[in-house]
Amino acid sequence: MAGNSEERATIAHLADEVVPTLIERLAKSELGELEVRQDGWRVRLRRAVDGAAPDDHAAQPVARHKPGAAAQTAAHAGEPHPPRREPQRGQVKSPAVGYFTLRGGVAVGSKLRSGDNIGAVDMLGVRQEVVSPVDGVLKSLEVESGQAVEFGQAIGQVEASV
Amino acid sequence: MFSRVLIANRGEIALRIVRACRCLGITSVVAYSEADRDSRAVQLADEAICVGPAESRRSYLSAASILSAAIVTGCEAIHPGYGFLSEDDTFAEMTRAHGLTFIGPSPEVLERFASKAGTRTLLGKHGLPTIPGSGMLRDDAHAMAEADKIGYPVLIKPSAGGGGKGMRMVRSPRELQQAMTICRSEALAAFGDDSLYLEKWLEDNRHVEVQVMVDRFGNGVHVGERDCSVQRRHQKIVEEGPSPALTDDQRTALLDSAIKAVLAAGYENVGTLEFLLDRQGNWFFIEINCRIQVEHPVTEMISGLDIVAEQIRIAAGEPLSVKQSDIELRGHAIEFRINAEDVAHDFRPGAGRIETYLAPGGPGVRMDSHLYSGYEVPPYYDSLLGKLIVWGPDRATAIARSRAALDELVVDGVVTNVPLHRALLRNDTFLNGEFTTNLLDRVGSAAFMAAADAAA
Repeated sequence: MAGNSEERATIAHLADEVVPTLIERLAKSELGELEVRQDGWRVRLRRAVDGAAPDDHAAQPVARHKPGAAAQTAAHAGEPHPPRREPQRGQVKSPAVGYFTLRGGVAVGSKLRSGDNIGAVDMLGVRQEVVSPVDGVLKSLEVESGQAVEFGQAIGQVEASV
Repeated sequence: MFSRVLIANRGEIALRIVRACRCLGITSVVAYSEADRDSRAVQLADEAICVGPAESRRSYLSAASILSAAIVTGCEAIHPGYGFLSEDDTFAEMTRAHGLTFIGPSPEVLERFASKAGTRTLLGKHGLPTIPGSGMLRDDAHAMAEADKIGYPVLIKPSAGGGGKGMRMVRSPRELQQAMTICRSEALAAFGDDSLYLEKWLEDNRHVEVQVMVDRFGNGVHVGERDCSVQRRHQKIVEEGPSPALTDDQRTALLDSAIKAVLAAGYENVGTLEFLLDRQGNWFFIEINCRIQVEHPVTEMISGLDIVAEQIRIAAGEPLSVKQSDIELRGHAIEFRINAEDVAHDFRPGAGRIETYLAPGGPGVRMDSHLYSGYEVPPYYDSLLGKLIVWGPDRATAIARSRAALDELVVDGVVTNVPLHRALLRNDTFLNGEFTTNLLDRVGSAAFMAAADAAA
């Protein structure tokens, strides 16, 4: 596609103004990712995974277990320094404790972009968005609409498109 | 009685509440942060639910997360333990607004006793001598003016909680100005609230506190006193009951005045009235703690009561299970806080894996701890690893048993403050029951331990 002057102006605007501003904002914030969409373009900045937020090395959550499950829970305390678990790429996690609602139109097989909203967790009437961590296809849903979820619980899996 | 209770705390107190629930036939649900996934309380509770990341502000201090967890797990009540949300009247009110019960005083009672200055005035009106102090400080200029009025030295204290965080004793306006900023940030980090107030500092004081229990029907009892004079930087290290500093007449007067005053002021649930005792045996009311306290087992050991169970019953609207005449205090109990702190390096807090944990035993020995061999102590929270509580028919026997129990206790993997406890049990001032709250800070803990070693 040959760029017309309008496109060139947009690109210049993005490169010279938008991106530097976003970099500065992201650096100052505690956010992992920042995205701006306008007209026909969108810019997304993502912080390097190193020095990740605590959320990123979370172990698998244990939702509502019985005492019998305790042995399993203790098992991974067996190493002196539990290795930071690589965040399972594509895992959709609950951002809060509350009731999950799937967004209308989203189902297994849906194509998703990173940051796309796939539903929300209602925490005392406040909606916390559940977003896809990668670009890809929703491969599985582990939670149904209306179900209670805890913080960090796996809600689904997105198969990343390469 | 409740059938399901959410426990919104961690460490040894979460475990303590799980145990009380079990005895009362209540299903316990522990709300935990990602850092406490492998905790003993999570393992022992009937159910557990993750409420947020390690950072307290987003987990244990997040009222919305805790309430949401209680709702989705179908709990009828929330036990806040101590610290975190335990004395937050807004949280208590939100809990009620969602149709749940806050296990503690009602929001109205919490609000009535929320202001330290207001509480001093209120209980002063009902017969307690009080310590001079300020209201909540608006800014540094206000602090300076109030300190001038009270007279130096003064103690800066956080409005929202205890545990020595955000507390500093200052002797001059210059020190006051410097300390205010530090205290604010410490209080904010610990309680999510940076409001401070001032209190007159008494030299060579002892800290004595009275345990009370009041039900919704206005029945109230005191369960004796505890002496918490062994402190480091305003943080209690060892507590004992009864206080070796009081004569029988003084004790009777203190306990009677305390329970009369709280009943008249309309207090409800379990609580602790804190007093300072001067050299001459005069006592001054300083503040009331509207929660279960770390040192409650001292009282349980000498009274035979389960104070946490009593607290849950009161919150459920049941009458007290005992009258004053049923309460018989027997013997002497001492509690040692076992902290992950390196005494040799200015009490630097430690974290890491517990290689081996072995609790002591024997007559009168109780260990309240969430440790187990292989447990990883997370670095995000306070350094309390557990409490060793030792009872004896008299103080001398309790001390002898304490020495044996401390020798038996094994906590390998992290540095603990046990050497300080051993030194205390060789120190004449402690053995004679004459410890004062600033002794350790004045002498310096290192010098204190060296002296104890030399004497041994």
